[in-house]
This record gives sequence, C-alpha cells and structure tokens, in this order.
Amino acid sequence: MKSDRVVVTGRGTVNAIAKNVEEFSTALKAGICGIGPVTLFDTTDYRTHTGAQVRDFDPRQHIPKNYALKRMSRSDCMAMAATLEALSEAGLTPFPGELTADTGVVIGGGAGGMLECEPVFAAYLETGADRLPGTPFAAFSCASSADHIATHLKLMGPKTTFMTACSSGATAIGYAADLIRQKAAQVVICGGTEPLSRITYSAFNALQAVDPDYCKPFDRDRQGLTLGEGAGILILESLGHALKRRAKIFGEVLGCGISCDANHMTAPDPDAAGAVSAMTAALNDAGISPEEVDYINAHGTATPANDRMEARGIKTVFGSRALRIPVSSTKSMIGHTLGAAGAIEAVACMLAIEHCFIPPTIHHEAPDEACNLDLVPGVARKATVDRVLSNSFAFGGNNTALVFGRFSEDGGAR
Amino acid sequence: MGLVTPLGIGRKAFASNLFSGVGGIRPIEGFDTTPFKSHLAGEVRHFSPMDFISARTLRRMDRLSQMVTASACMALDDAGIDPDGSKRNRIGIAMGTAFGATDVATQFAGTLFTEGPRRVNPILVPNTVMNAPAGHAAIELGLRGINTTVNHREASAETAIAYAANQIRQGRADVLLAGGGDILSPFFFTVLERFKALSPQDCSKEAARPFDRRRNGPVAGEGTGLLCLESLESARSRGATIYCEIVGWGLSGAPAPTNDWPDDPAGPMLAMQKAMAMAGVRPADIDTVSAAASGGIKSDRLEARALELIFNGDRQPAVTAIKGALGEAFASGGMRAAAMALSIHDDIVPPTLGLTSPILSLGVVNSALRKMKVTYGLVNACASGGTFATLIFGKMVPPESIF
Repeated sequence: MKSDRVVVTGRGTVNAIAKNVEEFSTALKAGICGIGPVTLFDTTDYRTHTGAQVRDFDPRQHIPKNYALKRMSRSDCMAMAATLEALSEAGLTPFPGELTADTGVVIGGGAGGMLECEPVFAAYLETGADRLPGTPFAAFSCASSADHIATHLKLMGPKTTFMTACSSGATAIGYAADLIRQKAAQVVICGGTEPLSRITYSAFNALQAVDPDYCKPFDRDRQGLTLGEGAGILILESLGHALKRRAKIFGEVLGCGISCDANHMTAPDPDAAGAVSAMTAALNDAGISPEEVDYINAHGTATPANDRMEARGIKTVFGSRALRIPVSSTKSMIGHTLGAAGAIEAVACMLAIEHCFIPPTIHHEAPDEACNLDLVPGVARKATVDRVLSNSFAFGGNNTALVFGRFSEDGGAR
Repeated sequence: MGLVTPLGIGRKAFASNLFSGVGGIRPIEGFDTTPFKSHLAGEVRHFSPMDFISARTLRRMDRLSQMVTASACMALDDAGIDPDGSKRNRIGIAMGTAFGATDVATQFAGTLFTEGPRRVNPILVPNTVMNAPAGHAAIELGLRGINTTVNHREASAETAIAYAANQIRQGRADVLLAGGGDILSPFFFTVLERFKALSPQDCSKEAARPFDRRRNGPVAGEGTGLLCLESLESARSRGATIYCEIVGWGLSGAPAPTNDWPDDPAGPMLAMQKAMAMAGVRPADIDTVSAAASGGIKSDRLEARALELIFNGDRQPAVTAIKGALGEAFASGGMRAAAMALSIHDDIVPPTLGLTSPILSLGVVNSALRKMKVTYGLVNACASGGTFATLIFGKMVPPESIF
C-alpha cells in the first residue's frame, strides 16, 4: 500500500450532454447523444457540419459577478465553471484562505482562446496590424485558464499547463497527482478544457478524420471522430489532508503511464506499441495487475486507425481477459474534446465507480472483427467498478493512461 | 546539452559567446520590421538543420521542430548516449514552449481565412499543435519513453525540467531530454509589438537592459535548449561527464491581472523558498542566480524585490541576467539552465549585458564574466499571469572525495 495516496474529493464538468456532474451522470446512464449541428460559427464551407457543442452555456450562471469575464475565453469560462463546481462538491467553497499556499492548478489545454482570436486574425489579414483589438489576445494562450483559476481563488501553489493535444487533460491529472506525492501541494485543481474553433474544425476536416454524421466508435462503418468541446476538473488531495478535513472521497488516482509512439505525427502506430507501453506503465505505477481492471474507458475516437490500434493494444495488455472486460468510448456521446478529453473521461470514470455502472458506447451497431471487445453498445450496464483504466492517445504519438480506483481505507485490497 | 540559440549552435559556440560577453541581439533579418517601433531581436542565425536531421523527416518539420530535434540530437551526442533498441523505451523528452510553431499556425489560419476551409493544407496540421516539436524529435531519434510538452508562458521550460527530474526520481524513465524553446515569426512579433510588450516602451533607445533603471521593455528572442537528464547511478555507471546535479525545484503562482505581473513579490519568493527547501540549502549557500529579468518594467522590479527579500543575509549570490544577451525567448529555460550547468561545471558566471545602472541592491555580474567557485546556482522563471518556477543546480562531488 502506498503511503502517499492521492484521492479525488471533487468533480466538475461542462460538456455537450451536461453542465454539471449530476446531469453528466444521468446522461451517461441514459446514453444521451450530444452531437448536432455546430452553431458557434458558420460551417457552410466545411466538409462536415456536426459537432458536440456545449449549447446555451452562460458563463454568468457559473462564475460569480465579482470576477470579470471580459478577458476570459470560452475555454477559460468552461474551465472555471467546472472548477467552481468541483470545489463546491469538495466542500471548499468559499475557498479557505489557509489553503491558498498549498493549492496548485494543472490544466491540460488545447485551442485556448483560438475561437475569440480567429476574427481578429481574419481582420489582420484584411486590414493589417494597425487596429488589432487587444482583448481577445489576452486569453489566447491556453495557460490563461490556469491563471484565471489561480487568480480568482488567490492560489499560490504550483501552476502549469500541459499541451499534448488529445492527451493534455490526462497528462495534467497524472502530474497533479505527482505534485501531491512530492508534497509540493496538498490540493491540486486539475483537468482540461477545450473549445470548438474554426482552426481545429478545419484541421480535422483537412485530415479527413471527421465523420460527416456522428462518430461510431469501434463500429465496422466508422468514418472518423466528431469534435466536441467542454471541460472536466478533478480536485485531487493527499489522503491525509482529505481525512483530516473529513472530505467525501469519490475515488483514488492510482497511477499514470506516459509513452511516445515515435512513429508518425498523426497516425497511430498500428502495432500499438506506444499504447501498450502507456497502459502497462500506468498499471505498474498503480501497482495492480491487468486482472484487477473492471472497466476500460477507451480513447475510442472512432477513426478507423485508432480503434483498430487500441483494440489490438488492449488485447496485448489484457490477454485472454481482454474480451471480457467492458470497454466503452464516451466520445460517442460527448465527441472528442481533444485537450479536455482525458479529464472529462476521468470525471466519467469517477461516476462509474461511484454509481456502479459502465457508460455505454452509443452509435455502435455493426461489430468490427478487429475490435471484438465487450463494447457495452447502446445502453449503460450496472456493474461494480473498483478499478478503471482510461486511455488518451494524441498527435505527436503522445500516449497517456490513467488508473483510478474506488477508495477504501485499507488501500483497496480485495 | 543541445542548443540552437542567438549565441550560436551547440554547446561550444553558445558558451564561448555567452561567457565572453558577445550578445546575440541584432537588427532582425528574418522579416521586415519597417512598420514597427521595435527592430531588434535575438535571432537564431546560421542554423543548418541538415547537419542534424535526416532528409526523410526534415521535410515534415516546421522550424521550431527542427531546432528542438537538432537540440535533442546534440544533447544525446554530448551525453554520449546512443538511443538504440533496448534503451529507447526508457528515453524521452519533456519540452516546454510558450507559443509553439506560430509560423505554421499563421500560415494555416491565413489559408483558412483567405481561401476557405477546403483549401487548407493537411500537411501543416500536425505542426500546429504545441507538442509537435517533441513528437518530431521522438520520431527522428526513436525515443519511446515519456514524452510531454508544458505550455505555460515564460515558465514552460523550467517547469518541464522540474517535471523531467521528478519522473527520473520516480524511476519512470532512465534519460529525459528536458528544456524548451520558442521561435519568432512575423505575426507573433506583430502582436508583441502592437501590445507594447517590447522595447522601446518609451521614446528612448531600443535595447535589452535587465535590472537597469533605464530599461524600457524586453527585446524579443528565440532559441531552444535541451539538457540530458539521467539518474546519478546511470551516469556514473557509464562514466559520463556530469555537468551538475539538479538538487531542487519549486513551482508557485500568485494572483495577477490577466497577462500581467503581480505587485507582491510573495509568488517568486515562494518558488525560490520551495526549491531551497527541497535542495536542503539556505540562501547563503547559493553562489549565483540566473535571473529571469529581461528588461521588462514590472517583471524586473518584481524579481528584484523578491531576490532582495530572499538574499538579505551577509553572504549574497552573484546575480546574472543573460536575457541581456539572448533577448526574451519565452520558454528560455532550456538555454538558461544550460548556461547554469556550465557555470557550475567551469566555475564562471556570465555577464549581464545592457546593465549599467542597477535597480537591484545585490551584486550583479555585469560587463565581464566572473571567475568564482559555483557550488549552488539558482535559475528563476517568472511568467506573466503570475507563474513562477525555480531550479537549483549543484556541483557534483566526485565519488572519491566523499570519503
């Protein structure tokens, strides 16, 4: 048993199917699809027109009036909304002054303030540099989400941002747990945030990696991913600190594994060597064997290459048991939220542990022989979930796997 | 260490210019600066990527990726490590960048907004993400271990080094190339210039003057630097030259106005205090400080106050600010950490160029290098928005002298 255990005491999310954790839990159990027409910007000239957009998101319903929204991007606002929800669930509202020096923020970023900067850049191309409005650029960097959170709560602990494309959120959670184990912080607000933007939308369109309708993870007829947006935040805390303040503990971060394909910038390594190495490293870090995993939250983007590679990787790591472990892709409901994906999926994993269910893979109809796993198609399943593996694979060959567990005082021996 | 900098390519050229007080700031050659008030930068020149990178991968790389990959090649070569089959799963990269490939991003967006989404070039897409340089370097060198990219403004590279050091301590990797870098590009420079982030912010002459009373904003810079980090046992077992040991690090934040600096020096002080606590040293033990100071009006004042409050005893460190030679290269921590490693290994401290009238009451090394024993050196990073990182490096005691 590890003496330096890291527990989850709060969760928050904004995504296409929920604006808080309770709604998210309900929607995951019901297998709700958040994919529809994108209305944030005009998609007329694009190859595809759908996305998992967060609809009717009003930052003011989440962020108190004393914090100015003027210099915050949509991405920053979603991160802040999820943070405030997670802190409230953790019983840290209003934020205790005595904790500010010992509380850190680690965010996984993506496009950051791109959505707001795009019209400014378009204007620059037309009229030149003389009249660039400054406000949108204030929130351009994806580091600004962590900065706003820390400034709003007056935090002085470690603060940083990871940007490893589609694995940013998971990498941020892994490092946040490390900071607590190093005793660099008692509490860390961690997760990821990602807005839809024209640049990202056109990039994935140009790569022809997007399904024109909706993504169908692990399905024989899958054509690609559906882009999504949102934020997912966890409050991580040292076990000692959480017990001392009698916080409700939702689960435990058991391990993190990171690897690189070193094969191709965008295409996954068909041999799945990098994915296998990340999953194995995460299980080793957690000190558990593949037999102890009850559920795998797949990266499951629904691109032909990813799903085939991931199924192969899971079979390599889990051997004969691979076909009996439930594996699902929540991206079928919330789309691929890129920098936020690993973090929103971490929230889904915590809910699966708490409410004893496996979220479904929706839109999965035609089985693909190359992906013949137990994919929990269509509807959620009741099950005791004590140990979860969550995969995030990214451009650049950046793979991150996280292991979460149900909390028990004795370290979960069973 | 591997370096692609305004002071030269590779350790020897970098060290020779840095320690002899040759600056890298000159009139910009990379693009036309006629419309701007600022015309100077620390630009990387005479960089020939073909010297380091295979033709097959080179054509897929953007300029920052080329610089990072070249730095990675040089770092492994300098360390005497051949990343062959058996070892490569345990060798990786922790990279820091503040803005990434701004040249590719503007090229991609330029097509999108002038010709429409059907005309954008898919070949550019992989290089628009911040983790592209670390990904390209991993592909070129076959590095399959931990690979990550920190993207938090001016503290990106120091944070990446702290991240890497911790991963090695945890036993999750044998060797990590850690550091970072950023590049200059026309649109990025335009944004910095239009928002008055650069010297001259007044009517006086454009120049980088760290900690100087006449400072009027930083001069932009670019460059990459990666350090090869490995466990002591691993380095000793293969008889490697050890420049120094990473003995401590500290990360902190402070409430700050958006993209601006806090007034209260508590944030940078906390990062230094945490790093010293981890290293088990007191302020009096620190021989030299590589300050983050760049000539920024608020940021230099903030760091000067923090240094004065930390180092208030009888024995004070010799402070240097090498952004006077490099310019503000944003994720500059790889280059600055390399400079500190050389200071400790060779017992010399580089000069602060551009400083004549200091605002800092501590002793600053200016005009010429100082020869002095350097046992502990501290490297500071201060990022706008209130993020701070401190690294402490220590002299490696030869194993026989322990007894």
